[in-house]
Amino acid sequence: MDKPVGDIGMERDENVTSLALLASFLRLGASSFGGGMAGWTHREIVERRGWLTDDEFLKTLTVAQVMPGANPVNLAVYIGLKLRGVAGACIALFGMVLPAFAVILAMSFIYQQLRSHPEAQAVLRGLACVGIASSLTMGIKTARRLKANALPILMALAVFLMVGVLRWPLVAVVAGSIPVSVAATFWIEREKSRD
Amino acid sequence: MIDDKLLNLILLCIPLSLVSFGGGQTIVASLQHETVDVLHLLSGPQFTDLYAISRAAPGPGTLIVALIGWEVNGLLGAVLATLAIFIPSSILLCILGSYWQRHRRSAWAIAAEKGLAPVAVGLIFAGVFAVAQSARFTPLEMATSLGAIAVLMTTKTGPYPLLGFVGVSYFLLSLAGMA
Repeated sequence: MDKPVGDIGMERDENVTSLALLASFLRLGASSFGGGMAGWTHREIVERRGWLTDDEFLKTLTVAQVMPGANPVNLAVYIGLKLRGVAGACIALFGMVLPAFAVILAMSFIYQQLRSHPEAQAVLRGLACVGIASSLTMGIKTARRLKANALPILMALAVFLMVGVLRWPLVAVVAGSIPVSVAATFWIEREKSRD
Repeated sequence: MIDDKLLNLILLCIPLSLVSFGGGQTIVASLQHETVDVLHLLSGPQFTDLYAISRAAPGPGTLIVALIGWEVNGLLGAVLATLAIFIPSSILLCILGSYWQRHRRSAWAIAAEKGLAPVAVGLIFAGVFAVAQSARFTPLEMATSLGAIAVLMTTKTGPYPLLGFVGVSYFLLSLAGMA
C-alpha cells in the first residue's frame, strides 16, 4: 500500500500538501448538506485545485460507488489515497466527516435538552415522516434503474423479504445474495451479448 | 469507559460498514432491529427520533450511528461508533480500490457493478419498512408521508424545504393541540 498509484498512471503529486488536502475536504465536508456531492467534489478537486483530470476523477467515482461505504466519503478517501497515500486517505476521511459529525453532535445535544417537550416530539414525528418518504423515494428511483428483467427484480424482492420482513441478519443476507446477484447479472449480460 | 452496550454497538457497526453498499440507507433495517429488538440499546420511539434527526442532518445518512453512540455513551460513544462505521469500509477501499480500477472493464467487474443494485434496492425498502413499522404512524403522519412521497416523486423539490415545512407545520399543530 506504499505506492497505491504507481501502476495506474496517476503519479502522487508532491505539490499536494497535507494542509491543502485537509482544507479541501473540510470545505467539502461542510458543504455536504443535501446531495450532489460528486459534483461538489469535482468542482473542488478537478476544477479549483487541478489535482486530478476529468478522466481520473471519473475512474475514482466508479470505484467509490461500487465499494461499500457512503459514496461521498468513499470518493474523498480514494482521492486522498491517490494524491497522498494512506496519510492522504486519513486526512480526507477526517476532513469529510468532521463538519457533519460536529453538526450531528450539536443536534444530539439539542435533542437531549428538548425531547421531553411535546412540541419537540411533534416536530420529530413530522421529520420522521419526511425522512421515510425521502428514503422510499430513493428506493423507488434506484429500483427504476434496474434492468427490466425478472431476475434483478426477484433478487430485490427476496432481499427485502429476508431483511425487512423475516428480520434475518443483514450481513449474512448480503454476503449470500451478492454472489448470486452478480452471477445472475453476469449470465444475463452474456446472454445479451450473444443475441 | 467502554461498557458492554458501547462494545455491542461497535461490534454491530464494523460488519455493517463492510456491507453498506450504497451508503447509510441500506443498513437502517439492521440498525433498527439490532439496537431496539436484540441489543435493547434504544426504545422503538427513541430510534424513530434518531432516524428523523439523521435524515434532517447534513452529511452521510450513516452518521445515524453517531446519534446512537451518543445515546449509549455520550461523546465517546458517538466518536467510536462513527469510527467503527467509516474505518472498515475505508480500509477495504484502500486495499481493493486500485485492483478494482485496473479490472473495471472485465465482464465480472461490470456484472458486479450492476449486480449490487438489486441488493441495495431490497435493503433500502427493508429499511423503510423497519422504520415505518416501529414508528406506528397515526393517520395524520401516514398522510404526511404519502404527501411527501408525492411531492418528492413528481417535483424537483429536495427534502430540505419539505423538512422545514413539515417541521414548522407539526410545531404549530402541536401548539394548537392537534398533533
